[in-house]
Amino acid sequence: MATILTRYGDGTMLTMSEKELMQDLEAGTQDAAERGNIPALSKEELAHLFDIFSLPYNFVSVEPGNEVVLTYDAGTLKIRRVGVNVDRIQALQIYEKIMGADTMELCHVDYSFKPIKPIVTMEQPILEQALLSTHVPLFYGAMPNLGTYTQPDGPFPNPSELMPMGDIEGARASYDATVEEAVKDIVYAARAMHASGADGINLDTVGAAGEADFKASLMAADILKKEFPEICIELGMAGEFILGMHGEMEWEGIRLAGMYPHEQVKLAEKAGVTIFGPVVNTNTSESSPWNLSRAITFMKACCDVATIPIHVNMGMGVGAVTVNDHPPVDVVSRASKAMVEICRLDGL
Amino acid sequence: MRAAGDLVARVQMARGMRIAEAKAYVAEKLSVSVSELTDPVIMTEVRQDLQIGQIMPLPGCAKGIEAKFRLSEVLELDINCVNRFKDRTAI
Amino acid sequence: MVDEQTIKEAIKAIVDHDEAKAIEITKKFIEAGNNSLEIMTEGFIPGIGEVGDQFGRGLLFLPGLVQSADVMKKVTALVNEALPEKQLEKPGVVVIGTVKGDIHDIGKGIVVALLRANGLVVHDIGRDVDTEKFIEEAVKVEADVIGTSTLLTTTMGHQKDLEKELKKAGLRDKFKTIVGGAPVTGRWAAKIGADAYAEDAQDSVVKIKELIG
Repeated sequence: MATILTRYGDGTMLTMSEKELMQDLEAGTQDAAERGNIPALSKEELAHLFDIFSLPYNFVSVEPGNEVVLTYDAGTLKIRRVGVNVDRIQALQIYEKIMGADTMELCHVDYSFKPIKPIVTMEQPILEQALLSTHVPLFYGAMPNLGTYTQPDGPFPNPSELMPMGDIEGARASYDATVEEAVKDIVYAARAMHASGADGINLDTVGAAGEADFKASLMAADILKKEFPEICIELGMAGEFILGMHGEMEWEGIRLAGMYPHEQVKLAEKAGVTIFGPVVNTNTSESSPWNLSRAITFMKACCDVATIPIHVNMGMGVGAVTVNDHPPVDVVSRASKAMVEICRLDGL
Repeated sequence: MRAAGDLVARVQMARGMRIAEAKAYVAEKLSVSVSELTDPVIMTEVRQDLQIGQIMPLPGCAKGIEAKFRLSEVLELDINCVNRFKDRTAI
Repeated sequence: MVDEQTIKEAIKAIVDHDEAKAIEITKKFIEAGNNSLEIMTEGFIPGIGEVGDQFGRGLLFLPGLVQSADVMKKVTALVNEALPEKQLEKPGVVVIGTVKGDIHDIGKGIVVALLRANGLVVHDIGRDVDTEKFIEEAVKVEADVIGTSTLLTTTMGHQKDLEKELKKAGLRDKFKTIVGGAPVTGRWAAKIGADAYAEDAQDSVVKIKELIG
């Protein structure tokens, strides 16, 4: 019986028998199906995943004709983080010409809409210059990051302090207040960047601070889409379900906490979002087959119901990619191939 | 970007089309087959011929905003920065 | 021996954060001459486990978790009152914080809420915490476990610093250490010599209870 070489979610190498591989694939899809109340993968889909993991190659890819769009977020931040000391326009050119990026995002190193607001007129000329010297579609993006609106980083009482004291209503009121302010900041920055010629506005890591983050993003998208019907808005998520920090927060009469990707995308569509970027988190203690089978189950359910393009988040710790700074190509390429071939997604 | 991914992405962004529809749209506008969209050899030639931006910026080829002017026409899409450029330069 | 119906009701009272019902069950159980520890271990502890599991699945939210924790605290007090002193167990003490240079504390806050819900005494020393402060606080409160959280790859190194500083101070054997956060893995925990790694909030409860023994 063949032995399959794969990894745990933390990147550690692991060997499995064919039987163990199939057991992990079945357990992964079952976990997602139970959590999301969605269909598990079919026998044929599991067999396809089995085949992908059984391929004896380090790097695998899709069949010709199945290629999808490859995008990068926050590249102008990440290139500096790895010690490449180029300015942001050079960074965009490197991604366009050398990395072959299909879309790029200009962003500030302080990657939240709140700090962008006071410096937006300094960001606009950078975007305008970048747009002159690149031809890749260019987003301007940041995180809603509602954590920056509560003390000590912002004006509102910190719900994390109020909640343990039993002041649940106070905590909820604070979350509600952060939404109003965040919407103003997102819309303010997005209007400016749209006026400067951005091809799109990217709201990244949405939901990182719970459902207030998601609500603010939906509200901002709704306002922007009504004001500029032609604007492209991308919504990239932070985690697989909306963390219920408030518990009762709603948008358009729908409770947001606990929503999984196939539910999130329907609200995104309703708000006028153009491209949706769902996330599934990697469990570092489980195997790559378990993680990938699980992630694909969530993503397939999302892609099946979506009417807008889906660009699945694939990178360190998400989309069944291992939690490593530079994840191994055997995992990344298998996850990418499987996502594209099984989920019929539109981009990575 | 090495083939036609950026063009397909633009159609997704501007028209909200999903991948199959977006690929078909781009292929039709460029007069190529869908399978040729991912061939970097063919697409480099097509991009050069149409002046819609390419990896290797040869002398005289359209670059940056110039390429996006052509792209807007070829794909029959509004491109925000191209429209802004036209406004600012009174074109 | 706790009957099945009482176990079900105890679990439900905790999940629904129904304080009146939980107290009623506890008092009735104790007044019937039973060992109060049994209702705790067979009813309320599985109940709070269910709360953690539901939170991890997006079925229950932070306010509910906090309210369940509050109910748990009240029934724990009743159970302890009824126990002979020799049977009273000292609750585990945890010092927890986000490491120096990192101001992200949403995940750590959830961990704190769930640890408290599980009866542990938690000293949350906040975010952007100096390595020395973790040690000072652990010594001061006689902690069993020091937990460090980090969201950033750029600040993970401070979890390693804690291990070094504990060794330097001759205190490494006095405390158990546990690490968590988005870029953190079991592999990292083993590499730096931490005693445990927690995948998420619920896992932190399991791992810390294992560490305390």
